[in-house]
Amino acid sequence: MSLQLIANVVVLAAIYALVSAGYVVIYRVSRVLNLAHGELMMIGAYGLVATAGLFNGNPVLALILAALFGLAMGIIVYAVLMRWMTGEAVLAAVLITIALGIFLRGAAILIWTTQQYYPAATFGWTNPPVAVAPGVRISTASLAIIVLTIVVYASLFVFLRFTRWGIRMRAAGQNGLLAEQRGIRLHGVYAFAWGLSTFTASLAGMLLALDSGVDAQMATIGLKAFPAALVGGLDSFLGAVIGAIIVAVAEIAAIQYVNPLLSDVVPFLVLLIVLAIRPWGLFGSREQLDRV
Amino acid sequence: MTAGAPSPAQDIALLGTTRRRVYFVIALAILIVLPFRASPFLLDLANQVLFACIGALALMLLTGYAGQISLGTAGLLAAGAYSVGILVREVGAPFWITLPAAAVVGALLGLVFGLPSLRLRGLYLAISTLGLHFVVIYLGGEYEAREVLSTGVMIDSPSIGGFTVSTGIAWYFVLLVFAMLALLISVNLRRSRTGRAWRALRERDVVASALGINVQRYKLMAFVLSATMTAIAGALFAYFRNFVSIDAFSLYLTVQYVAMIIIGGMGSITGALLGAGFVILFPYGIEAVAAFLPARFNSMVFALNYSTFGVVMILFLLLEPAGLMGIARRLRNMAFARRTPPA
Amino acid sequence: MTEPLLIVDGLHVAYHRTAVALHGVSLRVLPQTIVALLGNNGAGKTTTLRAISGFIGLDNAQVTAGSIRFAGARIENTPPHANTARGIVIVPEREKVFPNLTVSENLTVVSSRRVSASDRKQLEDLVYQSFPPLANLRTRLAGLLSGGERQMLAIGSAILCKPELLMVDELSLGLAPVVVDDLTRRLGTIRREMGIAVLLVEQNAAVALEIADYGYVLENGRVALEGAAADLRGRPEIQESYLGISGGDERRRHRAIAHGTEQ
Repeated sequence: MSLQLIANVVVLAAIYALVSAGYVVIYRVSRVLNLAHGELMMIGAYGLVATAGLFNGNPVLALILAALFGLAMGIIVYAVLMRWMTGEAVLAAVLITIALGIFLRGAAILIWTTQQYYPAATFGWTNPPVAVAPGVRISTASLAIIVLTIVVYASLFVFLRFTRWGIRMRAAGQNGLLAEQRGIRLHGVYAFAWGLSTFTASLAGMLLALDSGVDAQMATIGLKAFPAALVGGLDSFLGAVIGAIIVAVAEIAAIQYVNPLLSDVVPFLVLLIVLAIRPWGLFGSREQLDRV
Repeated sequence: MTAGAPSPAQDIALLGTTRRRVYFVIALAILIVLPFRASPFLLDLANQVLFACIGALALMLLTGYAGQISLGTAGLLAAGAYSVGILVREVGAPFWITLPAAAVVGALLGLVFGLPSLRLRGLYLAISTLGLHFVVIYLGGEYEAREVLSTGVMIDSPSIGGFTVSTGIAWYFVLLVFAMLALLISVNLRRSRTGRAWRALRERDVVASALGINVQRYKLMAFVLSATMTAIAGALFAYFRNFVSIDAFSLYLTVQYVAMIIIGGMGSITGALLGAGFVILFPYGIEAVAAFLPARFNSMVFALNYSTFGVVMILFLLLEPAGLMGIARRLRNMAFARRTPPA
Repeated sequence: MTEPLLIVDGLHVAYHRTAVALHGVSLRVLPQTIVALLGNNGAGKTTTLRAISGFIGLDNAQVTAGSIRFAGARIENTPPHANTARGIVIVPEREKVFPNLTVSENLTVVSSRRVSASDRKQLEDLVYQSFPPLANLRTRLAGLLSGGERQMLAIGSAILCKPELLMVDELSLGLAPVVVDDLTRRLGTIRREMGIAVLLVEQNAAVALEIADYGYVLENGRVALEGAAADLRGRPEIQESYLGISGGDERRRHRAIAHGTEQ
């Protein structure tokens, strides 16, 4: 395997890992699988398109605003929609996220049409390739994704381990009932989890948009990243990283050595294999299975 | 005993009470006369609804009765359609071979889709069927790519003993027969031992197995039966449209069928039929409304359908999870509450 | 006569609107007293606690008749966090700690509105004072604690909610008698130090009546017997059914009382 191929794997793994983090945050805290995650990422990317249009001379401002919009989006989705499903059957909540995803896809096309947008062009940024090793090049945006993934995971680790809110979120995820009994407001914790999830998703979407543009198809990446989260175990962040690496390796290897058309189906083949052998994933907690 | 309520014997029999017999005859009369009075457009609509009914009933049996979550409908429809497409294209098989072949393929796939259900439940089961969906779709896409069929496989209309089924009216009656078959199967299953076993499964399969019900066999049976019905519907669809293309079978299609049984009312036969009607007719309603919207939206009818469908699904899930049947029940209770005094 | 802190009056609770769990339970808890709620499995003890703490909606159960008054205010069917804010804190029977948090995290994670920052420091000190073994286990994951330690932690985290009424569901379940003795002693100390009332649900009548001031016996969703703990201890029905001391006919009498056929 050439170094360039390895670099490509790392980039793809970073993308999947970054997107998976969002699945894990929500699942770990509330046992809900947010199948609208890909669409929310896409809306986050469109957010950058919007702010870039407004502030094309000030990319930093545009990025910050778009990121804040991403954060707000999750909290709004929870407050308006998902909170009514708290306490109801998880499957119903998941169905609602599917419906939400459908709505968002349609709405995105209605607002932005099927055209492809390039916020990098709006900023006048060329996204130059960077040589990370002799003979190995990846785009600057791809490098940024890798860096961002590392930063996000490190922050999440610190946040969950050491901060007040982080510990509360972990408690809520372990035993929502007891958490409520000890004064932790589940609605607040869940809303924050959703905000965090869409925040990281939007960052991923924004960078992908800067790298290769955005259109309504971007949401599919969200669906492809899902097997990575599942492979690792839906409630484990470490698992998401490992899962992302596994799926990325499998996908690129399949494209390179078997058949490029396999690109979209390989993640799901991996998913099926994992479900057949070890449904709770490599690092997930087993009881989750029976509880569902 | 209140006057007018059916006796247990009457209840069990398919058309036991006089009232039911009357309803049935009236419904039958309407259904038979309809195609001769309807415009070609309405006829096509009716045909689409009849198709959807078959698939909706199949899904309802699996999910509503047996409680097994499956996101495999689109994949199974595709399998049925492609069985026809491939057999017709490769060996020119007549439909009295392709249809059973599609059924067999459906049954086999049903077995495959059903295997995860032996270990997994709920969310994880749904995820596994999702994975299988993508695999099936990929295989269909592979076939099209290999045979360089960018617009799909062309199929001639089926002939039954010299008579070619190609007009709207002809298809109407063919579909009506299949739909009634599906209905009959569903109704009979409800009252059969299998149906009861499935209901036990849906509630708590741990308890069911303690009661001596062979959980594995009944789960697989549910998947196989549902898949066979769906594959047959897919095969019919291939003949109906005279062509098969993988683009028609997306995750959105599966979600539409899931929506049918949710919007109609989970676990209810009437609900499945109502839901099928609703989901099929809904986009046409939206199109009619779109005529009044600014030109920009007018041209993106597909996206408009998508987004309004998402909203409607959310509304039903939030406000009336029991679907249209739930609404009907509430209205009926309101009407009764006025008539009967409190206990 | 002091005003009762908690008054449960004629409480009826039904599951799914069909299976009735409580058929008119009435009890009172006076401030700073320990009240024992006894009875066998299925008698309705946990349902009563759930109704009081607000977790009744969990199993699709509902209060269908009767009332629950806490410090004068009616609280039936109010949400759990509201009740915690009033000072009604429950130590559940199972899943009473956060297993993947450390002991100290289990304590710091408590965030009841009632508790100010200074309160919190005081309460934490009280917990470590009342349960010295916990002080050495601060960094241990709660899931790895022994049964007795876990119960101590559970009560400790309840204390951090600054309760006025502490409800404990099955204090002694699964614990060795020595451990239970120790716990009940500490519970008594806490009651004195904090001036709280305690509602103690127990299958083990001997343990409960040891520290309780007053007791109720539930059977089939009704109060079959009540009285001062000292009196109850001496009653042959209690000795027979719950303390395992034999005396044949008494069992029949007791059942007759429970079903309301004898006064």
